[in-house]
Amino acid sequence: MAIGLPAIAPEVTEEVTKSRVVLVRDKDAVAADGKINGEVVQRMLDQAVMALFDKKDPVECFKILVKPDDIVGVKSNEWAPLPTTTQVEQAIKKRLMGAGVPEENIGIADRGVLGHPIFEKATVLINARPMRTHAWSGVGSLIKNYIMFDPNPPNYHDNACAPLGSLWELPIVKGKTRLNVLVLFTPLFHGVGPHHFDKTYTWTYGGLAVGADPVAVDSVGLRLFQAKRREYFGEDKPIKPAAHHIAFADTRYHLGNSDPAKIELIKLGSEEGVLI
Amino acid sequence: MKILMGTCDHVLYHLNTRSLVRAAGVLAAVTAFMLSFMLSCAGEEGNKMTTLAARAVPGEVLGWKASDTTETYDRESIFDYIDGAGEVYRSYDFREVTVWRFTRPAGPDITVEIFDMGTPDDAYGVFSYARESEESGIGGGFEQRGGVICFWQNRYYVCVAADETTEDSRAAVMALARTIAERLPSLGAVPHLVRLMPREGMVEHTERFFHIHPSLNYHYFLAEQNVLNLSENTDAVLAAYQPGTTYLLCIEYPSAPEAREAHGGFIDNYLPEAAETGATKVAADKWVSALTLDRYVIVVLDAVSHERATALVNSMKKSLVEAKMVTEDQL
Repeated sequence: MAIGLPAIAPEVTEEVTKSRVVLVRDKDAVAADGKINGEVVQRMLDQAVMALFDKKDPVECFKILVKPDDIVGVKSNEWAPLPTTTQVEQAIKKRLMGAGVPEENIGIADRGVLGHPIFEKATVLINARPMRTHAWSGVGSLIKNYIMFDPNPPNYHDNACAPLGSLWELPIVKGKTRLNVLVLFTPLFHGVGPHHFDKTYTWTYGGLAVGADPVAVDSVGLRLFQAKRREYFGEDKPIKPAAHHIAFADTRYHLGNSDPAKIELIKLGSEEGVLI
Repeated sequence: MKILMGTCDHVLYHLNTRSLVRAAGVLAAVTAFMLSFMLSCAGEEGNKMTTLAARAVPGEVLGWKASDTTETYDRESIFDYIDGAGEVYRSYDFREVTVWRFTRPAGPDITVEIFDMGTPDDAYGVFSYARESEESGIGGGFEQRGGVICFWQNRYYVCVAADETTEDSRAAVMALARTIAERLPSLGAVPHLVRLMPREGMVEHTERFFHIHPSLNYHYFLAEQNVLNLSENTDAVLAAYQPGTTYLLCIEYPSAPEAREAHGGFIDNYLPEAAETGATKVAADKWVSALTLDRYVIVVLDAVSHERATALVNSMKKSLVEAKMVTEDQL
């Protein structure tokens, strides 16, 4: 059973032992020209949440996450070379509205979360972003995605961003995250160049990794990246700097599980090229 | 200012009221003039950098035209442009980056970025940070990767990048890079510490010049704690050597006492076993050695043998002596 589910989920009654992460892939998510297929993305998100909650209806899954009177902030990521994508944002929004949350109570933002009227009073957060290598933290991760909730992000840059897990203690964030969606459509697995982005080092994976535990989802993403780098470079080429903020989020900040032995990974879709 | 105010106090004590009023007026005028002079110098410095960079960028090249406006980001706003990777630039004496956009009807767009890194040393440093190859012929050295060319020259780090790589855009990127290099101030020297690194056995293009602890950990994770007391006031070079993958690290501190303190802390926290011998085996076929010499700390990491560690340390010592950075009697 996934950890981190809210108290409104009566299904969470047994002792939590493992964090469930669902990795769903679809070869039609990304077209040959790079365009993202919104219908396919919706289908993938639905499949993922149904597997996450053992339900047959995605709206029922979202009704576990939110109540109609919730105010919901979708924390996205707008980094131009590799954004969350409007397709993922809209797929989440559609299911939130299907669960009864009025559209005017849903906000989607990245850098503008502080001072945003929805995020200022949000009762629920949905966290969604792509994983990519990052020049200072090793990888841009779900854990790191909340850095814009602090007015001074460089506060968390020390020691390759080791303290990122502490972001989740901020009052504006604490205890509100119901779902984490790690976008793996065309991940960046090696960073070079002045902006740490080179399209040469992206590949079409066509995936989403979804879970309630951000540390577990990030750990799955990190394993995927390490596997891709081994495949591409023909050797173990460690990510630089080490993305140790993910393990520290577990061991120092107790945010979730980073140990693969404590993660239940469910894979849906094509096994070809899955790498993990 | 302190000297000026002290002198004025002495003068004012001995004057009558009318003279006092006149003297106060003179004092205010002088103070205003000095403040205005200092501020205009700072502004002039900033304007000079931007103007120099602007003159280096042509208005048009091979059908691509520069936009009328540019964007400039400083140490605080760079995150708005580059996101977290801005810390790489801030780990050096980065001042500002100015961005030009070039377009042509058939595309693709080309971006020119000129980073003012404050000094030639730091322009080289940021160039060396993550480069995987290097060619000569543009600036102090350039790296080309697909549709991107980056080079360093004088205090500037320049990147020219096409959104998509086509035959035409590749030619335009190269032409832009060469033109800018011709127009920027002349070449600065590679940091002296980099030039002093022993060449024998060095793996090509692995020299990294930097200042602070996170940069060391990026290239070689040593420890979470800043065990070598690196700071913006230290110059450090790390390079890889064969056999195996051995690393030689040489750090220049502002003073000999600071070097000794860093060395002592490193030995105490990281290599207590090496307190007497200066070298210790940390794993199978991995030796670490460290010593201090005047303002320098030399560290060898992951040497394949005690002998190899010692040889590399001695090579570095010899370089420092031959360059007169330390004297024989300091050995």
